[in-house]
Amino acid sequence: MAELGRAALVVSLGLSLYALIAGAAAARLGRRRLAISAQNALVAAFVSTLVASGVLVSALLRNDFSFTYVARTTSEALPTAYTISAFWGGQEGSLLLWLLVLTGFAAASVGLNRRWARDLIVWVVPVFAAVSVFFAFVLVAVASPFTTQAAPADGAGMTPSLQNPYMLAHPVLLYLGYVGLTVPFAFAMGALLSGQTDERWLVATRRWTLVAWAALGIGQLVGSKWAYEEVGWGGYFAWDPVENAALMPWLVATAFLHSVMIQEKRGMLRVWNVLLVLLAFSLALFGTFLTRSGILNSIHSFTQSSIGPWFLGFIGVVVTVSLALVFWRLPRLRSPTKLESPISREAAFLYNNLLLLALCLTIFWGVVYPLLSEAVRGEAVVLGREYYDFFLRIFGLPLLLLMGIGPLVAWRKASLRSLLTTFRWPTGVAVATGAILLVLGAGTSVPGLIAYTFSSFVAATIALEFARGTRARKALGATSWPGAFSSLIARNRRRYGGYVVHAAIVLLAIGVAGSSAFDTVAEAKLERGESMKVGGYTLVYRSLDERLAANATEIRARLAVSRGDRDLGTLDAGKNAYTIEAQVSNEVGIRSDPLTGEDLFVIAEQIDPDGTVYFRVFVKPLVNLIWIAGLVFLLGSLVTLWPDAREQRRLARRAREIGIPATH
Amino acid sequence: MARKANPARLVIALAVAAVLAVFLLYTSIAGGGNPSLAPSELAGRSGEVQLAGLVVGPVTGDAHAGGLRFALRDIGKSSQASIPVLYAGSVPDLFKVGRQIVVDGRLRGGTFVAEPGSMITKCPSKYAPKQTGDSA
Repeated sequence: MAELGRAALVVSLGLSLYALIAGAAAARLGRRRLAISAQNALVAAFVSTLVASGVLVSALLRNDFSFTYVARTTSEALPTAYTISAFWGGQEGSLLLWLLVLTGFAAASVGLNRRWARDLIVWVVPVFAAVSVFFAFVLVAVASPFTTQAAPADGAGMTPSLQNPYMLAHPVLLYLGYVGLTVPFAFAMGALLSGQTDERWLVATRRWTLVAWAALGIGQLVGSKWAYEEVGWGGYFAWDPVENAALMPWLVATAFLHSVMIQEKRGMLRVWNVLLVLLAFSLALFGTFLTRSGILNSIHSFTQSSIGPWFLGFIGVVVTVSLALVFWRLPRLRSPTKLESPISREAAFLYNNLLLLALCLTIFWGVVYPLLSEAVRGEAVVLGREYYDFFLRIFGLPLLLLMGIGPLVAWRKASLRSLLTTFRWPTGVAVATGAILLVLGAGTSVPGLIAYTFSSFVAATIALEFARGTRARKALGATSWPGAFSSLIARNRRRYGGYVVHAAIVLLAIGVAGSSAFDTVAEAKLERGESMKVGGYTLVYRSLDERLAANATEIRARLAVSRGDRDLGTLDAGKNAYTIEAQVSNEVGIRSDPLTGEDLFVIAEQIDPDGTVYFRVFVKPLVNLIWIAGLVFLLGSLVTLWPDAREQRRLARRAREIGIPATH
Repeated sequence: MARKANPARLVIALAVAAVLAVFLLYTSIAGGGNPSLAPSELAGRSGEVQLAGLVVGPVTGDAHAGGLRFALRDIGKSSQASIPVLYAGSVPDLFKVGRQIVVDGRLRGGTFVAEPGSMITKCPSKYAPKQTGDSA
C-alpha cells in the first residue's frame, strides 16, 4: 500500500512538471493543443494526489502502524473521527492536504475560466504547476507520509488537546484559506506573464479570494473557540506565532478585497493590487512554514527542521520572481486615473489598506523579531503581548472607525459639508453611546470605551444604509417591507453582504473589548463546602468525582453557582488524565448567559489528593458575541459569494471597457 | 512623463512616516521585550529575562502555596548544568519532567524567581504528540 502512495506522489510530481514545462512552452509559442494538454495534466495531478490521499486515509482507518506517520499520530483507542483528522494532524499529512487542495483548486479555477479568458489561462497553468511541483517535490523527497517501519503494537496517540471537534475543522479551514490564496496569485502572475493586465484576472478570482478569505477568517475563530474551551487558560487569542501566521494573510487579503473595488470601479491601484496578492500568497506560504517547520518550538531547532530551508528557499524564489515580473510589466500597469481628493471613497479605502498593512507588518515584525535579534545581537528577544496589544489599538481602532466612514463617502470627491450631513445621525448615536457607557463606569478602560463608541458609530451607519435602501426599494414598488429588504440585498449582494461582514466585525470588536478590557478574575483554594465570590456570582464547591472514559480518567469538581438569590445550577470543572498519551489536560467549566453573552469560566487548576481544589474563575462580559460574530461573518460571506449573473455580466463589460488591449 | 502632484503618493509617504513615528515611540517607551536565554547563559544576569529550558526533577512544593520548585537545563545540549527555579501560579497541563518550558523572571541569589503565572510549556510540537529523543 505504501508503495502505491509513494508512486502516486511521484506521478503527481511528474504531471506537475509536465504541466509547468509544456504549459510554459505552449503559452510562449502559442500552441493551443499543447496548452490543453498541460491543463489536463493539472487535472490528472489532482487525481493522482487524490489516490495518494486515499492510501493515507485507508492506512489511518486500518490502524496500519507499519506507516510511520500513522503510528506517530494515532492509536488503537482513538475515536474514528480523530483518526481521520490525523490526516492533517502531522507535518507530512498536512503537506499532502496542501497539494490535494492546490491541484483541486487549480483544476477547478482553470476549468471554469478557460473559455472567456483563454489568453490569460495559458499562462496561469504553468504558475499553478510551479507551485504544485514544489509541494509534490517536498512530499516525494523530503517529508514523505509513506515511510514505513516494523509495525509497533500501538501508535503514540494524539495530543489530548487536539481531540476536540473544533480541531477537526480548524486546520482544514486554514488550509483552504492558505491554498485558496494561490488562485489569485496564479491569475495575477498569469496576467503579468501574458501581458493581459486588464481587470479580468480580478473578476475571475474574486470568488476564489472571497472563499479563501472567509475560510481563513472562520478557521481562526474556530481555532479561538478551541483555545478558549480546550486549552483553558481563560483567553482565546495569545498572539502566538502560529495564530499570527494565520492572521497576517487574512489581513492582507482583507486589504486586497477592498482595493480590488477601487481597481474595478476606477482602474486605479493596479500595481498595488498585484503586490497585495503576492504578499498574501507569500504570507500563506510563510504561515505553513511557521506551523510546520518547527521553528517555533525553539528558535534554536530551526536548522534541524527538514522542510524549513526548502520552504524559505521557495518563498524567496516566489518573491524574487514575482517582483521581477511586476517591474517588467510596470508600463502596462499604469493607472489611467488618479486619486482626485483625499476625501473620497478611493481615499478611504486607501487609508483602510494602509492601516491593515501596517497592522500586518507590525505583527510580522513581532514574529520575526526573536530571529533577527538573535542574528544581530546574539540573543533572542521576544516581544510580548503588550507589543501586539499596543499596535492593535493604534491601527485597529482607526480601522474600526473607517469601516463606518468608507462605504458612505462619495467616489472621486466628497465635500466636508456632505460628510457632516451623511454622518449626522451615526455621530449622534456614537456620542450618546459613549456618554452613557462613561456614566455606567466603562471609563476604566479607555481603549475599551473608544472601541464601543466607534462600534456604535459603525453599527448606526450600517443600520442607516439598510433602512435607506429598503425604503427606496419600497418606494420603487416593492409590495412589502420584507420583500423590499430581500430585493435590496439580492440586487447588490456585494454591497449588502459587505455590510453584514462589517456588522460581524463590529460584534467581534464589542466581544473582544468586553472580554479583555472589562473582565474580572478571582482565585481561591477551596475545600469541599467552601465558597468564593466573583463578579456577582457565588460558587460553592460541592463534590469531586472520578469516572473512567474510553481513553481517559476524568476528574470533575462540581460547583453550585448562584447570582444574588437566584440559583443557576451546577458547573463541572476538572482534568482528564489520558492513559496512552500519558498526559493530563484541563477541562474547564463554562456557563454562558444567553441574554447578556457573559461567560462564567472556571478552571480547576490544581486538584490535591485530599480533595481541595485551587480554582481560577473568570467573568467575561460579552465574550459570546465573538462566536456570534463568526456566524454573522459566514452569513455575510455567503451573501457576497452567492452567484449573481447580472453582476458578472456588468463586470465583464466593464473589464472590456477599461481593458487596454483587445482580448483576441 | 511629467509628475503632477499626486495625492496617493503623498498619502502613502505620510502613512509610512506615521507608522515609523509610532514605532519609534513604542520602542522608546516599552524598550521592546525581554531577552530569551538558556539556563547556561544566565550566570551574572540580574535583569528580567525569559528563560527557556528542559524541566529537571524532582518537582516539589505547591504552585499555589509557597511555590513550586524544580530545575531547568539547556535544551538539546549535552551540558547537564541546571538552574533551580521557584515558580508560583498556573501550571500548564503539559508541565512535567523532561518537557520544554518558558518562564519570565530574574535571578535572585542563585535561584531563578519566576513571575507568577508566566509559565508556558512548549509541547514538542503542537501537532506531533510524542518525540522520542527530545532530550538528545
